[in-house]
Amino acid sequence: MSRSHSHTFAVTVTAITQVTPLIKHFVLKASDGSQLPAFSGGSHVIVVMKGASRVHRNPYSLLSSPSDLSSYEIAVRRADPTRGGSVFMHDHVTVGMQLEIAHPVNLFQLDKLARKHVLFAGGVGITAIAAQLEDLKMGSVHYELHYSVRGPEHAAFADRLVKRHGDRVRIYHDSADQRIDIEGLVAAQPLGTHVYVCGPTPMIDRVIASARAAGWANSHIHWEQFSAPPVGEPFDVFLQRSNITLSVPPDQSLLEAIEDAGIDAPYLCRGGVCGECKCRVLEVDGVLVHNDNYLSSEEKASGALIMPCVSRAQGKKLVIDL
Amino acid sequence: MLIRGIKSKPVYTPLAPDLGGRTHLMVGFGVGAEPLARLIADCALAGVKKSSRQLLYVTDKSASPEMREAMQNADVEQVRLFSDSASLLTQFEAILQAATMGTRLYVSGPEAFMGLVMRIADRFNLNRDEIRAEECGSPARRVHCIHCRAATEDVTTNIVQCVGCQRWLVVRDHYSRRLAAYMGVMIDAEVPGELPPIEEVFV
Repeated sequence: MSRSHSHTFAVTVTAITQVTPLIKHFVLKASDGSQLPAFSGGSHVIVVMKGASRVHRNPYSLLSSPSDLSSYEIAVRRADPTRGGSVFMHDHVTVGMQLEIAHPVNLFQLDKLARKHVLFAGGVGITAIAAQLEDLKMGSVHYELHYSVRGPEHAAFADRLVKRHGDRVRIYHDSADQRIDIEGLVAAQPLGTHVYVCGPTPMIDRVIASARAAGWANSHIHWEQFSAPPVGEPFDVFLQRSNITLSVPPDQSLLEAIEDAGIDAPYLCRGGVCGECKCRVLEVDGVLVHNDNYLSSEEKASGALIMPCVSRAQGKKLVIDL
Repeated sequence: MLIRGIKSKPVYTPLAPDLGGRTHLMVGFGVGAEPLARLIADCALAGVKKSSRQLLYVTDKSASPEMREAMQNADVEQVRLFSDSASLLTQFEAILQAATMGTRLYVSGPEAFMGLVMRIADRFNLNRDEIRAEECGSPARRVHCIHCRAATEDVTTNIVQCVGCQRWLVVRDHYSRRLAAYMGVMIDAEVPGELPPIEEVFV
């Protein structure tokens, strides 16, 4: 494959704000002063962080307005436990510092033919939805957001959204025991409504299950669920085409180990959703630990495919077609 | 002269209940009664509640008297019968206006009729995973004149005179879902009056 998957450009951090006890907000501008590449609501970028011992590449949603390309905004939640990326962003990134980012990719698009949009967000999941709201504000189709936050001290984005979108945004505080009536909201929507959700896994699962129970067809249900590569057992992998054996340590993903070896493997989301890094498994002595939301359960059970960005192996030997 | 193999024609499949839906809206014309009768029986077998089933049907002579009677007495919550497609389509649009997510649409009849139904469904953003359609009956085409935009109905020949501008049109296989019609393009633009043989092809 001749196309490089690691094509990035340099941005400079121009502002950092601690918006909630766990979330920091970053403003990024192109280091060469030019306009940033255009994107649509729901896009993310991969931020490349060169840590002391290792390079982290994490996906973060662009939450600024797609109509303002003078800067990008991202928000990073400090993950606990962490593999290092979010902590790097929180503890090591300062104003004036340069970072590498990859071109925006949208795996969470609004449906342009929808007659109504109902959006659900929980916690930092709002970052994937915020720019979509900006796109929706420019259009004429009705939209509403139901946004659940832990409590007032976690609701920094909420104030900003209410200011911009008025009564189209409804905030629910967990600490005040305010709950989104997901079942009730999906039960009686007009034809042509689309539902979008980004937030904690139980929230995503509940929205999908409630919509399906109310008879919604899959083409109207949209979600984004990036999973960070989970920590696992160390294992060895043999890359057949590259003819090289690598050791993958517990806190590194298979994709990261491949990249560390200087091999240009395909990827887009690095969160187990897009399918770009899908790789054939040629041999496995042990079990595959599938952590992605892309492969079907049949594909996972077949043992013939793996998503190196989040999935791993447990056992003595893994051979993949790369 | 006809261009074959264009992939724009929708794919039709035998009607079967979609158990994921909560409201099942069935729409048919003439001989479309047969697939609908089978669908309604399959719904009952699969446990789809009668209260969730609705039928709109154009009584047309292409259906046998037995089939027409079967539609009239169909095992659904409500049967609405119409004498022509225009009145059915008006009622159909009103129903979609009030319908909620969870609705599934089933259409059966000649392609020209189904196209008009699906064009309205499209405006309500009913997607392919919410619509099932089975073609039966006349393959006559609805032809959209690309010059004057008039629609000529019930075309069975490879070449037809446009009802709007009287140009002679070749009926292409290029189907438009938005217009619910095949494209008709002037055939004798270079040498007016010089036409290839006109043949009955859509019968």
